[in-house]
Amino acid sequence: MLEDVRTRWHPIAATDDLPLRHVFHGQLLGREFAVWRADDGYVNVWENRCLHRGVRLSIGINDGRELKCQYHGWRYSNRTAGCTYIPAHPADAPARTITNRSFQAVERYGLVWSSEDPRGDLPVVEGIGEDDLLVLRAIPVNASAELVAQRLQSYRFQPNSEIAGTGTNIELVAATEAAVALRSCQGRAETLGVFFVQPVDSGRSVIRGVLSGRPNDAQLTAVLRYHNEALSKLREDLEREAAALPVPVPIEPIFERVSEELASLPELDSRGRKAAIRVQVARKWQTADGIMAFELRPIRGLLPTFQPGAHIDVHLPNGLVRQYSLTNGPGETDRFTIGVKLDPASRGGSQCLHDSVREGDVLAISEPRNNFPLRRDALKTIFVAGGIGVTPLLAMAQTLNNQSLAYELHYFAQNEQQLAFSECRQALGNAVMPHLGLSPSDTVNELRRLLSPYLPDTQLYICGPNPMLESTRSLAAEAGWPEAAVHFEYFKNTNVIDDSSSFEVALARSCLTIKVGAGQSILEAMRDAGVDLPSSCEQGACGTCLATVIEGEPDHQDVYLSPSERASGTKIMTCVSRSKSARLVIDA
Amino acid sequence: MIKLYDYELSGNCYKLRLLMSILGVDYKTVPVDFYPGREHKSEWFLKLNPLGQLPVVDDDGLVLRDAQAILVYLAAKYDAAGTWYPRDNPELLGEISQWLAFADGITSTASAARLHDALFYDFDINTARAGAHRLFRILDEHLWFGERQERQWICSAKQPTIADIACFPYIMLSEEGGISRQDYPAIRRWCDRIKRINGFIVMSGVFPAGPAKAA
Repeated sequence: MLEDVRTRWHPIAATDDLPLRHVFHGQLLGREFAVWRADDGYVNVWENRCLHRGVRLSIGINDGRELKCQYHGWRYSNRTAGCTYIPAHPADAPARTITNRSFQAVERYGLVWSSEDPRGDLPVVEGIGEDDLLVLRAIPVNASAELVAQRLQSYRFQPNSEIAGTGTNIELVAATEAAVALRSCQGRAETLGVFFVQPVDSGRSVIRGVLSGRPNDAQLTAVLRYHNEALSKLREDLEREAAALPVPVPIEPIFERVSEELASLPELDSRGRKAAIRVQVARKWQTADGIMAFELRPIRGLLPTFQPGAHIDVHLPNGLVRQYSLTNGPGETDRFTIGVKLDPASRGGSQCLHDSVREGDVLAISEPRNNFPLRRDALKTIFVAGGIGVTPLLAMAQTLNNQSLAYELHYFAQNEQQLAFSECRQALGNAVMPHLGLSPSDTVNELRRLLSPYLPDTQLYICGPNPMLESTRSLAAEAGWPEAAVHFEYFKNTNVIDDSSSFEVALARSCLTIKVGAGQSILEAMRDAGVDLPSSCEQGACGTCLATVIEGEPDHQDVYLSPSERASGTKIMTCVSRSKSARLVIDA
Repeated sequence: MIKLYDYELSGNCYKLRLLMSILGVDYKTVPVDFYPGREHKSEWFLKLNPLGQLPVVDDDGLVLRDAQAILVYLAAKYDAAGTWYPRDNPELLGEISQWLAFADGITSTASAARLHDALFYDFDINTARAGAHRLFRILDEHLWFGERQERQWICSAKQPTIADIACFPYIMLSEEGGISRQDYPAIRRWCDRIKRINGFIVMSGVFPAGPAKAA
């Protein structure tokens, strides 16, 4: 019986209960919901507890794109319910397993419908038109849904145009344990009333009435008041009746542990870079000279959670794999947007996306990974973008902008025509400052001016071509920026990789020792031995294949690690870096 | 300067701090150890207020007791725009007084339940909670129909009045007395609106709201 009820759709709120920037507190069959509408209109129905300390999310803050827990500020993304930021770990990207349980939501008949485990479609109500109806004020009742549905069968009401009259003819059109439909006729006046009963808990329900036909403005309030009064009267009788019955045992909701999909480890047999997600190119457009933008939408279901700074692997029709940063702002979870610059020296990646990939095409992509996470605790954040390097920084700037945190985005390009994503930049306003047509020496002067003096609690994020990135980093160091406040992401590793050494790698966790020969990377040798590690760019730029060094001296050849991370000798990029010592022990 | 005899966790003291913050009135507080010290029943305090209740204000020698009465005084005297307590509008003044009395009802039910649960007062908890639910049903209905008539606040003025301030604290704190607001969606939306008034401040147990969407 309860199983049956759990697989059915139930109304849990009225559409009017979800104004923007509000969190509605709902409940169905003993399970509490935090229900909130994002600024893009999407209705989120979530388990009403923060994954951190279990505090109700219904007292949290809906900022239009993310829901922030009131207790320790954990943020969860619109649509995916994935955690995007943990204030106590400002420099880290939250694990993808930190995803709240969400439930489906459909808006129909002026009501929001959900279910624990919906089978089949929403009920269709004959005689109620989507555009010509009146939603009554919901009446919560301290009585079981069964009792409420039974007693509703004898509810009597006048048609909308005859509420002052009496003696209407009532016909019971349909009755189930979840709803009662009654038709009231008097002369030519006729109103169909459908009264859905939301089972809140074993002894609590909500009557959600919907009438056919929307009265004119003059009569509207009178009709609403008429039913409010009559249903309140019915409630009084129901509660008196229920109070005489034994108190029912509350329904215990089943709290799911982390879903199997999230908890599962990557399969061992599929080695190498994975592209588990299929997306469709919904839109392809030229966003600047030489730069194409692609809007990728899921073929089915939801896209996974991302944080600002994240990138995806795109597996191209010609077999190449390339990395692109997501430009999306927070909560923009219905699509991934990337910007691709045509590289004149293209080895086939950007060329293929520009020339061959068209709107409607299906692409395979990886989950978003974030090795360039954004702190949201700075007094001020400075972004320095060179050319197409603007893409991750646009995502970051939108995030800070949405939280009204101070930032500047300095965008270096040759000319106006090379500035990408104008719509997004316009939305950010004056915080985006283009610097156009500067010579290399003028660029250095401008950067020196922007970076000095260093002020405490300021963070710097840089993305652009290697020479510009190098000079920005050294200028920041000159101006007194501590290394921990300077964050950077290289497009590619232009170091010439010396892979002539051979050495032994002990994989501490796998209890395995492997030989890495000349011409082979640690990552390749590990995969040959059946030990997989996620990887993305495989050239020492993105940071995905990072491993912890327990013993031995790494021979760093990447551009991901900062000087102090390199000096610590505790981290290694397994795709390009090697060992200076004959033996290297890593935590893998 | 105004002196407020204050207890940090008292909703009735908080409503005065809230109004003074909104009006930009300077004041200083004199902490009274309500719990566990029962300083409001001490000899020195009973001289100030023989009823032995918080809050009390002393404005340059004018000593007033009773939270609702002090709201009236503060708004009448210090609100230059005259919207929080419109002295020249008899209809509104009538409405405000009606809801100030309602706020007293909230104090004697929802606040009593909270004192029982949090500070071990010997009240009949079921009576207190049932009384609060009865009032919340009335207020939710009033606010729900208000929303349909573009009335955002408790009284029929365009702006909030001291009636909103008077009712707000012990509604916001009701869950500390085991009184859920789940069944009162219109009250929950009204609470968001109050939290977005310029000058809004919080107290322990009253959380801020995020900003409204920019128009």
